[in-house]
Amino acid sequence: MHQSREFGASVLQRLSRAAAVASASLLLAVGAAQAQTPPPPGELNRAPTAADWAALGHLPDWSGVWIPTPLVKGGPAFDEPPAWTPKAAARVARMRAAEDAGRPDNIYVNCLPEGMPSFDLMTLNAAEFLFTPGRVTILSEFDGNRLRRIWTDGRGHPSDPDLTFNGHSVGRWEGDALVVDTVAIRPETFIPLGQGVGVPNNGEAHVVERIRLTGPDTLEIDTVITAPHVLSKPWRSRRTWTRKRDRSSDIVEASCRQGDFLEDTDAEGFAVFTPIPKDEGGAPLALPSPQTAK
Amino acid sequence: MTRRQLLALVVAAAIPSAAAAHHSFAMYDQTKVVTVQGAVKTFQWTNPHAVLWVLVAPKDGGAAELWPAELPTSPGNLARMGWSKTSVRPGDKVVVEINPLRDGRHGGSLKKVTLVDSGKVLAIGPIPQAKP
Repeated sequence: MHQSREFGASVLQRLSRAAAVASASLLLAVGAAQAQTPPPPGELNRAPTAADWAALGHLPDWSGVWIPTPLVKGGPAFDEPPAWTPKAAARVARMRAAEDAGRPDNIYVNCLPEGMPSFDLMTLNAAEFLFTPGRVTILSEFDGNRLRRIWTDGRGHPSDPDLTFNGHSVGRWEGDALVVDTVAIRPETFIPLGQGVGVPNNGEAHVVERIRLTGPDTLEIDTVITAPHVLSKPWRSRRTWTRKRDRSSDIVEASCRQGDFLEDTDAEGFAVFTPIPKDEGGAPLALPSPQTAK
Repeated sequence: MTRRQLLALVVAAAIPSAAAAHHSFAMYDQTKVVTVQGAVKTFQWTNPHAVLWVLVAPKDGGAAELWPAELPTSPGNLARMGWSKTSVRPGDKVVVEINPLRDGRHGGSLKKVTLVDSGKVLAIGPIPQAKP
């Protein structure tokens, strides 16, 4: 599209003004016609009916704000440790040694999405689950208020999906459990053991979550991770979340790196952020001189 | 080491890193607790981590030195633990317990702060009623 526009521009330069306007109109018309081409049959998100909305009332009550169980030694809980391939195990050992020495090789950098399965395994932040016809949406304070969409309208995964940090998720209800199947996760996305220890899934990762209430105010996410390039067998981690209903627990805005900046005022009186010096691992070291003091 | 070399070292170390953001706290020595006393310079109520900046008077006299005490969590979680952006205010006299930076620089991760005038204690702990 970009190339055709450039080509069109070079042609237009040689035409009279009137012809140029006519050509541009034609290009616009073609573009509009392409944009209005309906999707193939069967791929519409149909309008929900009153019955669709009413059916949501029969699902388990996952309302409220959910707080994850604290991490275990800074990482996810598991019954059995991951069965890493030898190469991945060496990487984990190297990162563990760096962390133990106080020189963590942070896996979550530059505010790229932490993705799946970190969304389940590593977050220390609250989440909420929204049920609407055809999907479950997870909203979180995790990782800068990122969200997950789990399609529950019966669709499958796309045949050639774009790879993303959270992947493509479809879910189905098995009794009171939502079983979520996630594929198309970017290969650089980490299978984490801590903030400074983890292995990129290296592609073809597959995550199956079984999410269900285990008590009046407890919910379990049972996560099984398959990553054939770095794990010799699937790895399972389970985490319990606790419900809060007090409004002081409501989800709030969570930016990824506001803390790297000091609220400041520039010489013209505008409110600005000034970077705070940090060490190589991310610890704050000093307050910057306020702009107004310059 | 000359003063100029020392300054160069400090400046080099203080260049902002590649935006670690959600970072490991391994640079803080979890096996040690250091207690410092001073006055709050500012309380940075920010995501993903809040930071309490305290002006600490050196034991041997001299000008007050600035110590950052990084809280290991976010305003959302801190609110659930009973904190607010006004829990500590600039000028408040405080006693702060930290896990110190391993390299000896001033600073650490905050474990507990006591407000001297009121005796109120604010700590980092589990969110009340949340399953441990």
